[in-house]
Amino acid sequence: MSRQYLALVLPGFIIFTIGLIIPLFMAVRYSFTSWDGMSPEKVFVGFQNYVELMKDSDFRDAWWFTLKFTIGNTIIQNVVALLFAIALDSGIKAQKIYRTILFVPCLISALVVGFVWLKMFSNVLPALNDFLGTNINFLLFGEKKTVLSGLLIANNWQWIGYWMLIYLAGLQSVPSDLYEAAKVDGAGAVKRFFNVTIPMLAPAITICVVGITTGSLKVYDLLVSSTKGGPGRASTSMIYQTYTTAINGRQYGYGCAMSVTLVIVLLLVALVQVKGLKSKEVQA
Amino acid sequence: MRKQKLVSLMLVTAMTASLAAGCGSTSGGEKSEGGGGSDEKVTLTVLAGQSTTDAGIEDMIDEALAEKYPEITLEWECVDWGNDFQPKMQQYMQSGLPDIMIGKAQDVATYAPQGVLGEIKGDYLDRGLDAARENVTFDGKTYGLVYNAMYQGVYYNKKMFKDNNWEIPKTQDDLKKIIDDCKAKKITPFGSHMVDTWSIGNVTMQFMMNDVFNKDAQWGDKFRDGQTSFSDSKEAQTAYEYNKLIFDNTFPETFSTEQTDCDAKMVQGEVAMKVSGSWSIQNFLDIDENFEFGIFPFPNQTGDSKLIFEPNITVMTSAKTEHQDAVDKVLDLLTSDKDLAVEILDYTKTASMLKDVTPTFPNPSQEDIDKYAAEGNIVDVTLGNNQLVWGGFQEENAKDIAAWLQGDESFEECLKASDDRVDASTAN
Repeated sequence: MSRQYLALVLPGFIIFTIGLIIPLFMAVRYSFTSWDGMSPEKVFVGFQNYVELMKDSDFRDAWWFTLKFTIGNTIIQNVVALLFAIALDSGIKAQKIYRTILFVPCLISALVVGFVWLKMFSNVLPALNDFLGTNINFLLFGEKKTVLSGLLIANNWQWIGYWMLIYLAGLQSVPSDLYEAAKVDGAGAVKRFFNVTIPMLAPAITICVVGITTGSLKVYDLLVSSTKGGPGRASTSMIYQTYTTAINGRQYGYGCAMSVTLVIVLLLVALVQVKGLKSKEVQA
Repeated sequence: MRKQKLVSLMLVTAMTASLAAGCGSTSGGEKSEGGGGSDEKVTLTVLAGQSTTDAGIEDMIDEALAEKYPEITLEWECVDWGNDFQPKMQQYMQSGLPDIMIGKAQDVATYAPQGVLGEIKGDYLDRGLDAARENVTFDGKTYGLVYNAMYQGVYYNKKMFKDNNWEIPKTQDDLKKIIDDCKAKKITPFGSHMVDTWSIGNVTMQFMMNDVFNKDAQWGDKFRDGQTSFSDSKEAQTAYEYNKLIFDNTFPETFSTEQTDCDAKMVQGEVAMKVSGSWSIQNFLDIDENFEFGIFPFPNQTGDSKLIFEPNITVMTSAKTEHQDAVDKVLDLLTSDKDLAVEILDYTKTASMLKDVTPTFPNPSQEDIDKYAAEGNIVDVTLGNNQLVWGGFQEENAKDIAAWLQGDESFEECLKASDDRVDASTAN
């Protein structure tokens, strides 16, 4: 039996090793070199790349943007997705239509979403101004102080429906007798929400929080088709900075050092979140 | 139990086979079905780094090749030159280059010193203009076949200039008068699309050519030697400051406006001028085939600006191709088939770098180009691009310029950022 398991696991393990583990170790190795990605020489420079990272203001700015984007997404997407899920679970009419409408954007590529919102902010919505005679600033991608808001709108528009479905599934699996028991004990709607719904949704919250956080930390494709990391470097994420440094800037070793820091942060964040949130999970 | 084992075994076999198949295929595709003999079928891999104007020429080349050399098939991989050509080249330098690469003249300076490019034979080079060889020749060997060229400068609305009695500006004072008159008449002086950071990088090199490199052709080398810097050089600073002149005299939504929208504003008479290149002509004429436009060099401090000339489509070959005969036949086709050349030039709205080949598309700016050419007032931007490379340097500087224009960086910080990037200013 164990041989059968091994045989079934082996192909996946080989793919995982070739596609992820080996490149990861190679990236760690290259991060200790000054390799440009082209020449055969890979000169060993020790921790120099990591030391320079600490002094690199573009690297710090990229992290700062990525963190703001991640925190914004994690809060907004979780709260709004949960609210939508509760609304749809409350037995409103045409629930399936709303669910479909909210879910459809996540089927679109993030590249397309970026392009769509670039057009929305620069052409479609400003045209509304002309039509309504208003003067609302819709050019959110055009300024440093508004570009984060614009990207949060685009990203949340795309993903809220997806996380909403997970919350909806969680809500539908909460046994109704728990609510009835709480009612008998005199708990009102708010108390039932915080003392029954939220604890029972803890596994779904774990999935959503970890998924949104790690997804946001890795944002790249949305930026490529919308802001291209700009204006200036105002919306340059860690992945974007790593790619432009390693590939366009021909600093492969330095770029690998950046990616190693990103992997470490991703692992730490996921570990802390899973540990922290798992401890709050309860079983019905 | 036996069935389970059998199913497991089949699954494992299928998954392992698919993995092996995936790993087995090279990124360049199946290279050859023959040894390169004259009648044997050969498939050549081609990596084409294209500008927006170039997409589609591969079909024209395929068609002409099928007629003249039917035994050769080209397997194209067309990518955006600005974003994807260099990453692809980096990838292929590890796994083996395609037989043919199409990029820009400045790519030759990046890859030839790595020893991966093949020398282009004189037979084919002789069919091109002498000027085409200058910046693609290293140590006496030419590694790039320059096929066409673009011009860069300030595109202007001819009718608007005529109606307002504006003369072509030669000095900054002349330009300021036009800007002031534009403002008085509620006309936006410059069209720009700074959401595309590349456009900032592009115009900055135009400014650098006329204020920096035309005075000191080795400025980039001196920059690396520590003899000059952006923080010290008044000329380089002036070149950067022209971006502010454009920014202050363009529409407020420039950081949200894409090239097509910007070009449309130019054609529709909403703006008077646009610092750009031949890549805008396609848009101009697509929007209005009767649009009358001209071109002049952006005036520098000394009033002796030259029109910028940029060798564009540049064919390079792999030093290790196993099908040199077939590669040579493709080069032969490209340099000898004048109908194909005219078709490509008309489509891309660019100028020829082949002898005795003239595009036939109506180009209202051609008379201006001819005038500057006759006066010897044209300069090849490859001089600047070879000394201060695009990827990792010009491209990154443009981001700092954008941040400075938006008030997120001081001018001094912007200059210092360029100075700090000195190691990335050369490809080698």
